[in-house]
Amino acid sequence: MNKATSPDSLTLDQLRQMSISTAVPVENVFWQRVEVDPVLLQVIGGALKTMASEMAQLLFRMAYSSIMRESQDIGAGILDLYGRQLCESDSTPMHCGSLPAYVRGVERKHSSNYAPGDVILHNHPYYGASHAPDYGVIVPIFVDEVHIGFAGCTGHMVDIGSAHPGFSVDVPDLFAEGVLVNAAKIYDSGVLNQPLWDHIMENVRTPEANSGDVEAMIACCQLGARRFGELVERYGLDCVMSASESWMDYAEQRMRQRISAVPDGVYKAPNGWLEDDGKNFGVKLPIATRVVVDGDCLHVDLTGSSKQVETGFNCPYEGSVLPTVNFAIRTLLLDEALEGGDVPQNDGIFRPITVYAPKGSIFNPEFPHGCEARFAQINRIPDQVLQAFAEVMPDKVTAGNSASVSAIAYSGVLADDASQYWVLIEVNEGSYGARCGMDGIDAIDNLMANTRNNPIEEMELSAPVVCERYELRDEAPAAGRWRGGLGSVKEWRFLQKTSIGSTGDHRSDDPPRGLLGGENGVGGSMTKRTPDGKSEKLPAKVSGLRLEPGDVLQIAGICGAGYGAPFERDPQAVVADVRDELIDKSDAESIYGVVLTASGREADLTKTAARRKSGNTDG
Amino acid sequence: MHVSQFQVGIDVGGTFTDFVLRNLATGEEVVGKVPSTPHDPSLAGIEGLRQLSSESGFAIDQISRVLHGTTIATNILLQRSGSKAGLITTRGFRDILHIGRKKRSLNFSNYLDVPRQSRPIVPRYLRQTVRERVRAPDGRIETPLEMDDVAAAVDTLVHEGVESIAVCFLFAFLNPDHERRVKDHIESRFPELFVTCSHEVTPLHREYERFSTTALNAYVGPRTGHYVDRFNGSLKELGVGADLRLMSSAGGLMGSAAAKLRPVNLLLSGPVAALKKGVEVGQKAGFPNVITLDVGGTSADIGVAHGGKMRLKHVLDTQMGDFDAMVPMIDLETIGAGGGSIAFVDDGGMFNVGPRSAGARPGPVCYGLGGTEPTVTDALVVLGWFRESVLAGSGVAIDRNAAETAIEEKIATPLGLNLHQAALGIYQIAAKHMTDAIRLQSIAKGYDPREFVLIPFGGAGPAFAADIARELQIGKTVIPAHPGVGAAAGLLSSDIRYEHMSSLWDDLDTADRDVVSSKYDQLRSAAHAELDADGFTEDQMSFQFRADCRYRGQGYELTVDVPPDVLAQGWRESVANAFHGEHERLYLRSFPDKPVQLINVRLIGVGAVTQPAGSHMHRQHSDPGSHMIADCVFSGGAGPEVMPTPFFQRNAIGSELKLTGPAVVEQGDATTVVPPGCTLETDTLGNLIIGHGASHE
Repeated sequence: MNKATSPDSLTLDQLRQMSISTAVPVENVFWQRVEVDPVLLQVIGGALKTMASEMAQLLFRMAYSSIMRESQDIGAGILDLYGRQLCESDSTPMHCGSLPAYVRGVERKHSSNYAPGDVILHNHPYYGASHAPDYGVIVPIFVDEVHIGFAGCTGHMVDIGSAHPGFSVDVPDLFAEGVLVNAAKIYDSGVLNQPLWDHIMENVRTPEANSGDVEAMIACCQLGARRFGELVERYGLDCVMSASESWMDYAEQRMRQRISAVPDGVYKAPNGWLEDDGKNFGVKLPIATRVVVDGDCLHVDLTGSSKQVETGFNCPYEGSVLPTVNFAIRTLLLDEALEGGDVPQNDGIFRPITVYAPKGSIFNPEFPHGCEARFAQINRIPDQVLQAFAEVMPDKVTAGNSASVSAIAYSGVLADDASQYWVLIEVNEGSYGARCGMDGIDAIDNLMANTRNNPIEEMELSAPVVCERYELRDEAPAAGRWRGGLGSVKEWRFLQKTSIGSTGDHRSDDPPRGLLGGENGVGGSMTKRTPDGKSEKLPAKVSGLRLEPGDVLQIAGICGAGYGAPFERDPQAVVADVRDELIDKSDAESIYGVVLTASGREADLTKTAARRKSGNTDG
Repeated sequence: MHVSQFQVGIDVGGTFTDFVLRNLATGEEVVGKVPSTPHDPSLAGIEGLRQLSSESGFAIDQISRVLHGTTIATNILLQRSGSKAGLITTRGFRDILHIGRKKRSLNFSNYLDVPRQSRPIVPRYLRQTVRERVRAPDGRIETPLEMDDVAAAVDTLVHEGVESIAVCFLFAFLNPDHERRVKDHIESRFPELFVTCSHEVTPLHREYERFSTTALNAYVGPRTGHYVDRFNGSLKELGVGADLRLMSSAGGLMGSAAAKLRPVNLLLSGPVAALKKGVEVGQKAGFPNVITLDVGGTSADIGVAHGGKMRLKHVLDTQMGDFDAMVPMIDLETIGAGGGSIAFVDDGGMFNVGPRSAGARPGPVCYGLGGTEPTVTDALVVLGWFRESVLAGSGVAIDRNAAETAIEEKIATPLGLNLHQAALGIYQIAAKHMTDAIRLQSIAKGYDPREFVLIPFGGAGPAFAADIARELQIGKTVIPAHPGVGAAAGLLSSDIRYEHMSSLWDDLDTADRDVVSSKYDQLRSAAHAELDADGFTEDQMSFQFRADCRYRGQGYELTVDVPPDVLAQGWRESVANAFHGEHERLYLRSFPDKPVQLINVRLIGVGAVTQPAGSHMHRQHSDPGSHMIADCVFSGGAGPEVMPTPFFQRNAIGSELKLTGPAVVEQGDATTVVPPGCTLETDTLGNLIIGHGASHE
């Protein structure tokens, strides 16, 4: 077992002092705060939202690689001069939430020295990048020669010249994870730095895809800069910024209202466990989570989580941990499907929320520790937060989620040209834990992950792979009054020699936790099958594994946990699950206490009542 | 033979069914409206024809064409009243419809509902798998179809009582043999079932979208078919010697037979026709670039047509309700902003309008039908613009006091505004939603609205249009003669259109042109056969050749027009240039050095319906003076201002009219508002033209 960082000994005062927020404190602004009437406020709010969505549309349609295009693993938004996020696209939460950190990283290097026509490329994870493969493009916005803000976007590159194609977990340090670009002006006053561009593209395995993607990102930011500039020209800087301030204040106020409604106190989740660091298999890593509700503020303390590891399995603090905590709290307290649909995602949301993770821990590693493979750990944070709040808000939380991610990079060389690589990245889905009043969602991206899958037919037409299976897992869903979501199972057969790198966590020893009598979820798995019929279980993290033609890789996603006692499940829902062949008749009776009629099409309500009354001990 | 000289457009809306009857010899038009009959929309259709006939004195058997815009398929889907549908698919892929693209529609939500899972149109127990597998890229068969599995799957579905079956195999678009054999099996044993195959509905790659489209077709198929049959039967009884032609989502009409086979193509049938009318109005008035704004009770539809051409949606955007339908759809955006949209102040003190709507019942407060929450219509009444119900002939009296009280209590007081500020604010926020949506439909897609005219439809569209146009710097707003029946009128200007497509997946530079050419020939024969069956002669038929292209390595295609003669010199270059140009227009950049792929070929067969020249309005050179002057509230420099405003009757306006707002023009089906500073005139075609003085033309 990996040794944890110091146990949770911080006092509330220490936590208040040491935890940090994504929000940017701004004392003096260079514009005049003016009164904006409620209608103009809506007009400017709508314009901000529209421009973020326009930026994202352009990016994922113009982008080259499938991870940006089909998976939509991107983010875009507008930030003010101080790096406060004014608006963001509704693409993937990780990307959007990290934009302020990218701008901080860019500012660190350039200290407000920008010229019209500058385009800055950045991917340094110790200076704000979410992780090195997530390139950020930042374009300063000028109106009348005055710098007023930034347009930014991020996108996941297929390959950035890491030790193995795509990515790999088992690397010694950050430098093995690919080429670092630390806030480089790729365009300086409108002039392309061609040698720098060539240098970057000549050090990756997929130069065509990367250059197409970066071109798209530049176009996206230029569009955003133009749109924001037009808005300022139309209404004046004072008015636009005052309206933006009002929208940030509004989001802040809504968030503070919701936090205040939660009784003050310390809410602690049971420790979670990660399987390993991708090198020292069998050595589990702890995740400790404490949430302190402090009036209308909220602090998330990750003290007690694993110390940093000697592979790429650490999480960049600013670019990944902070956005994830913000996501966890916003989603819980201002759920877009419930009351929070009209609250925009901007700097105001972040203000009441702070985070602390000790320096040198897995959630706040020290340079130059590797930190590419961060998603499986990071996605546990929102799940831990939900568990911490389970008692106080049972109707807002979910039972345990898959709360991991399975990302796999497949690569090889072209059949007709061995000097050219093909690399495909697939982010496999998880599932949701059951909710109060709703079953968990099956086979869907979970929590911080929200990408699209690649069509099977697209994959087979563009790479030497064949899909043998893609459906729900055969295991029964985790039982409960509302059942857990089922993971999917996918099988790829390889037609040529293929190398794979993967990151993830099967949660084999620490499956998603059932809530209020609901059953635990089921861990995931990755299995290699060779043509001679032998099969081999693989760990969730493999680095540069070679597969031969005819080999099959099976990936089974994690299944979410159940919520509430199974005997309280609506008999009709149990019958539907039997009809859908998700559970069998004997499970219906033993686990749910539901007896079906002879036809199997409906519940025998009399027998069911009797069965449920007699208890569930004789299943 | 009877004398055929009339055609009629029938558009079914939620509240009213609209009619426009056109005399093919003279071009004269008569319009009518009857209340809709939602349980069987054809009843209102027949009743309306009878009324129109008795009022206008034409014989019903003189109708030679009945053109129909219908929400039947859309409503079946949205109300989930479709048939019990089964699906047969490749073993190992039972849950493609359930998993979808596995992305959530909301980022920040744990309590998201996923309708494809919680309320599937084909539940898992009705999705059966069989052994078979077709392989890319050549369509060769790796696993032959196991007919025993097929027989068992079909028997299971029949035993469960399905009315329709979708047959969806991987890569069926490369080789349809297996799907065909399953269909043959079902049709020979259970001829009463509606069977539909993925390669027939949309023979394109992307399995989830194709399966979903096919499943939707199976879901809406039987009921849509019954409806078409019933309507045609009633028409025949009435003495009409023609079958229905139905508006498709792609903006062309389909014959009854094609509509019954591919009803999934009818999902946007309703709103498309108004855009079509906008295109026609614009072209006749000399404006090939039009943006249409059709404002209804609960929603507004926005369409953009450049150069007289309607644009199709990108494949990522062709959803209907909660489901994906990969069929050609006109790029219309529907937003939740209409006359019934509710204004409210939220917990954080923010002033909002919509998307929640009071609908037709309880409706706006001023209708006195039980509504208590202020709506957009209430605001327009308080502003003095609406004096009567825009629901023509509904007999609903307007209670202005009730509207004032509701806005005062629910909006003005909480926000610290006065009544006029609150009412004007409701109007402006609703207008802002429409403006933002037009922006995303135009600017975000590479079109500059300053090069367009705005054409409003619906009862309230002409009340909003001028301010929206001014905001977007659109120079002119054109209000057609009958904005309230735009969709019905649009049907009359539509041709028959059949689109066929085939997957190619080859490099443009090296593709065997004989193969490409023969693919187009096959598609052309299919379209030709359908047009032939609809009674078109060779000289009425025309064919458009299109191709879906992308740069090698990209994952989405753009559709471009290509020259028909594939074997002619320079064909590859023409296609490449068309693609580079479209890429540049949409995405601001193109990559002329990068290889282009030819993913799909498409062919559109058009059966031209000859149109009489539009009749000019019968001009009444009466006094263009207003029939009354009343106080209206408009936005002034420092907030709302009360201005004495002349009111005109539309049918009393002559061609010499020219004035500067404020002014209001009333007609039975709509109210036009001319804000202060805008000019109003008429053109020779009977359109009202509002000028904004901000034109960049």
